[in-house]
Amino acid sequence: MKCARCLLQLQGLRLVGQSASSAAQYGTLLQSASSTQLNFLHNTQHQVLRRFHGSPACAKSRPVRAEVINEDNKKSDGSLVTYDNLFEQVTKEAKTKATFIKVVNVFLKRDVRRRGHVEFIYAALKKMPEFGVERDLEVYNKLLDVFPKEVFVPVNFVQRMFNHYPRQQECGVQILEQMENYGIMPNIETKVLLVQIFGLKGHPMRKYQRIMYWFPKFKHINPFPIPQQLPEDPVDLARLSLTRIANDRDAKVTVYQLPCTDITESGEQITLPHVIGIQSPSQMELLAKHNPSKPVFVEGPFPLWLRKTCVYYYILRADPTPPDEKVEEPYDPERCFFYPLQLDLDLDRDLGEEESFDVEDLDEGPVFAMCMTSREDEATLNQWISGLQQNNPILGQVPTLFRLDARPKELQGAADTESGHHHQRPDPETQREERQTEKEIVEDEPPRRSQGMKQ
Amino acid sequence: MSLPTIPRVPSARLLSSLLLHQQRRLLLPSIAPLSAPTRLIHAEYRRPGKPKENRWRKVNIDFSKGVEGIKKNFTLLKNEFFDRWVGPEGKPILEHMLEQNRVVWEFRGPESLEHWTLSSDREVGGQSEVYLKLGRNSNTCFLYGTLNSTPPRDGETRYSGYCTMRSKQPLASFDRKKHHDWSSFNTLHLRVRGDGRPWMINLATETYFSHQKDDIYSYFLYTRGGPYWQDVKIPFSKFFLSYRGRIHDTQHPLLVDKVNSIGFTLGDKADGPFQLEIDFIGVCKDYAHTEECAYEMYKRNPEV
Repeated sequence: MKCARCLLQLQGLRLVGQSASSAAQYGTLLQSASSTQLNFLHNTQHQVLRRFHGSPACAKSRPVRAEVINEDNKKSDGSLVTYDNLFEQVTKEAKTKATFIKVVNVFLKRDVRRRGHVEFIYAALKKMPEFGVERDLEVYNKLLDVFPKEVFVPVNFVQRMFNHYPRQQECGVQILEQMENYGIMPNIETKVLLVQIFGLKGHPMRKYQRIMYWFPKFKHINPFPIPQQLPEDPVDLARLSLTRIANDRDAKVTVYQLPCTDITESGEQITLPHVIGIQSPSQMELLAKHNPSKPVFVEGPFPLWLRKTCVYYYILRADPTPPDEKVEEPYDPERCFFYPLQLDLDLDRDLGEEESFDVEDLDEGPVFAMCMTSREDEATLNQWISGLQQNNPILGQVPTLFRLDARPKELQGAADTESGHHHQRPDPETQREERQTEKEIVEDEPPRRSQGMKQ
Repeated sequence: MSLPTIPRVPSARLLSSLLLHQQRRLLLPSIAPLSAPTRLIHAEYRRPGKPKENRWRKVNIDFSKGVEGIKKNFTLLKNEFFDRWVGPEGKPILEHMLEQNRVVWEFRGPESLEHWTLSSDREVGGQSEVYLKLGRNSNTCFLYGTLNSTPPRDGETRYSGYCTMRSKQPLASFDRKKHHDWSSFNTLHLRVRGDGRPWMINLATETYFSHQKDDIYSYFLYTRGGPYWQDVKIPFSKFFLSYRGRIHDTQHPLLVDKVNSIGFTLGDKADGPFQLEIDFIGVCKDYAHTEECAYEMYKRNPEV
């Protein structure tokens, strides 16, 4: 090893001597025989010569600057050092895409043969989320670029049969698998790189083909698509989620209060939460038809997941009308001119024409409105109700009960009227007062009062 | 050409069969031990490193259980015998031939929850939880829990965070396997109310070869979230074949005449609580749907 080094140093000097014209330069080179300078020369020669004997001094820990690559720190103890070191050194700076690419460039420039590229790539794949580049296709292509080209391409059928360079193929597959996990579609550059590195008939190519077959098939199958970039503004986010759950395109979103921070005279900072509600015309009709003697409930918070964020919403609903009180309203024939809404034919329908399922229709009571707010307490919800009252005057006469829960739970049903009575007990007499919004604020204590609540 | 290492994404089916067996041991009255199908016990997945369990310690021989077992099995046998006089599968032949819709799973009481097995990545050392209970009105089932995708620190598992609910295999008298025969239907119809998370519906069919044991036909169930119920209709032609979590290259249409179980899986890498309410699961025949398989069936992976 040492002899090879010396040989190459001499070779390097000779080459320098040939290329440099002035003898003075040669002289200075001989005189300044410090190891750093020689090694620096050494390194430049590396890029020119292909060295077949001895390995370059693999410095495992290096400074990050790609311009000056020092080969001084050769570890003589021979301990196993992982490639995470390179990434950890960058942690002192900001962890961005630029620094990530810089680290990869350091590795690339270090050795033309790219020794240890498999471990480096595995370390890089693990570090990607920290740098925030896990959804960036360019970075994946750059990582694929780390592989030396044309070395792993099988040349004949025997090599193709016997899983040529299995470790590298597995590494390539893992890069593609991380891409697949994050849902990133590879592009033509990826394909070209894969062909150059592994050839057309390797496992990474197969994986690429599978990704290119299945991803387009499943890209648009979500009937309720969520945008990749959710709005940052909580008001916009609330608007998006409320229109999503409203199930009605005529539903109107009303912003009852925008979030703002006020400073009162005493110097206190009051943050007002945002209150956004949604109500559709059919819901308004249902509320108008609601029996004022029956209470309406504000229930919540219920969770709604949008990709990785969970938002909570509240609903205003009532118990379903018991069957004896149901009034069948006749269909208005002028509602639809294209086809009759109600047919009174006396045709015999066969078993083969029975098109509905034999299940009882679940009637959980009408939902009148939904809202989302950032601060989840009765005062804010009161604001919502008063805002709703402007469009639905019946709310002034109907008692409103608050069934809030510290934790989200499922909707309560009609069978749970016991707990409903429980809540009404505190204030039964004042229910009949007209023109006065009644708010009986009752909080649910999870395990005790209501039956069957989520534990 | 096979790759040396396959990343461990254990299939829910193997693990639910493990949980199934545990449940049978703990909760359900076990019939005389010899009638417990030995195939199920063999099929349990034993994680490398876990000590082998002595099968005979689990056996619980009790006279009252034996009597219950005899009663149950002979009632089933009697029903099977006399049902044939009514018609195929106990329904009159006209109804069997002409039915358009059939409700397969309903949740109208606590005994309906006995048909379902729950599983989560707790089995492999993860921290997700999943629970099932009856919803309000005792008319729906409520599947809820928490998802946690930190992988267990055992050096071999790389991804984690899943929860599943799977229906148990229908059993005839004396614990013989029975299959769902949906040959006259072509669409799966569910009424669910989720919280916006994407779920996966898995159908497991009866297979001939033991290698095909973990063949699962899956499709996605996207929930909208919100207080309204969502009707989901998925034709059987849309289900794609996957094995142990990896989608298969050669696809073929789902064979509906011997369906063993249906399952719902959540694994969307979003840590946090989840909930799903299911009203009913049924199958129906959609005359307008004539597709056999939504995926190309020609050979797409020529030999290397």
